[in-house]
Amino acid sequence: MKQPSPTFAEFKSGILDELPLQAGIVPFGMVYGILGVESGMSALETFMLSSILFGGASQIVFTQLLAAATPAVVLVSSIAAINARHMLYSTSMLPYLRHLPLRWRVVLAYLLTDEAYAVTIRRYIDKPHNQYMHYHLLGSGLLLFTVWQISTLAGIMLGTTIPKALSLGFAIPLSFMAIVIPLLKSTPQIVAALTAGVIALTCQSLPWNSWLILAACGGIIAGMISDRLTGEAA
Amino acid sequence: MIWIIMICCGLATFAARFLPLSGILPAELPKPVQKAMQFVPVAVLMPIILSGIFISTDQQIQIDGNMRIYAAVIAAIVAITTRNVIATIITGLLCLWGLDFLF
Repeated sequence: MKQPSPTFAEFKSGILDELPLQAGIVPFGMVYGILGVESGMSALETFMLSSILFGGASQIVFTQLLAAATPAVVLVSSIAAINARHMLYSTSMLPYLRHLPLRWRVVLAYLLTDEAYAVTIRRYIDKPHNQYMHYHLLGSGLLLFTVWQISTLAGIMLGTTIPKALSLGFAIPLSFMAIVIPLLKSTPQIVAALTAGVIALTCQSLPWNSWLILAACGGIIAGMISDRLTGEAA
Repeated sequence: MIWIIMICCGLATFAARFLPLSGILPAELPKPVQKAMQFVPVAVLMPIILSGIFISTDQQIQIDGNMRIYAAVIAAIVAITTRNVIATIITGLLCLWGLDFLF
């Protein structure tokens, strides 16, 4: 019997590992599409942001800041702050991907989202290494990209037919809660979260919607101070 | 204008994903930068969570009659016990719809 090529085997296992996460991606993408149109973006702008930005959480924040007439500089720096966490992913992928040609690293960096990172880093850590394993990230990333575009489109088409009373926007804080709660394991992380939260609530009425970027910076500084004081590893 | 903002956001995001892989940066980021990066997720997401729960459409903190607070508490319990994103979202939304319907 003919063996499947090792590149295809890695690619396929990337897709299969990523598949279960799509149960969360589809509604998330649809909520983004709905909120995008609701916030006054055109269907084309809403759809294109899914490939230009390709980051669920940041796209939803983008629509909300845009609807609240946030100045461009504040909007861009808020999005940059939200997506700065991808540097962590990229850094931890470095040992596995550094030998690749530039074009591969560009493509894989573009596809490096929370969900693709989550399944592929598990494969790199848990299973034996080989020279084709970048195809795993290509598989997980491309599946996520495809499903994200289709769900965005579905959300845009549903768009205005969804009543606002369903408060679908509330799904956003809920999904972030499920991400943040497991991270609150050390004192510095809790201090960072509380400080950022308090700044966000008290600075809501500051001009230019600057509350998010202020809260993020304040939280990071508070976390670092607490880390220094407690000497506890975060 | 909106397209320029979208592209700038896209470039900033791609930079975060690509810079460590680019070979331009030193293999090890400076210690303080590494430390700061650890706090980025909570420092960014917590403000979005709390403003999504407490801030009303007119940008005021709303406590009285704010059913999102109760729905969020129940969803937080589900998040802690199940660690499941979908279960958390479904619980929270169902609670909010139920509470809005009842009160």
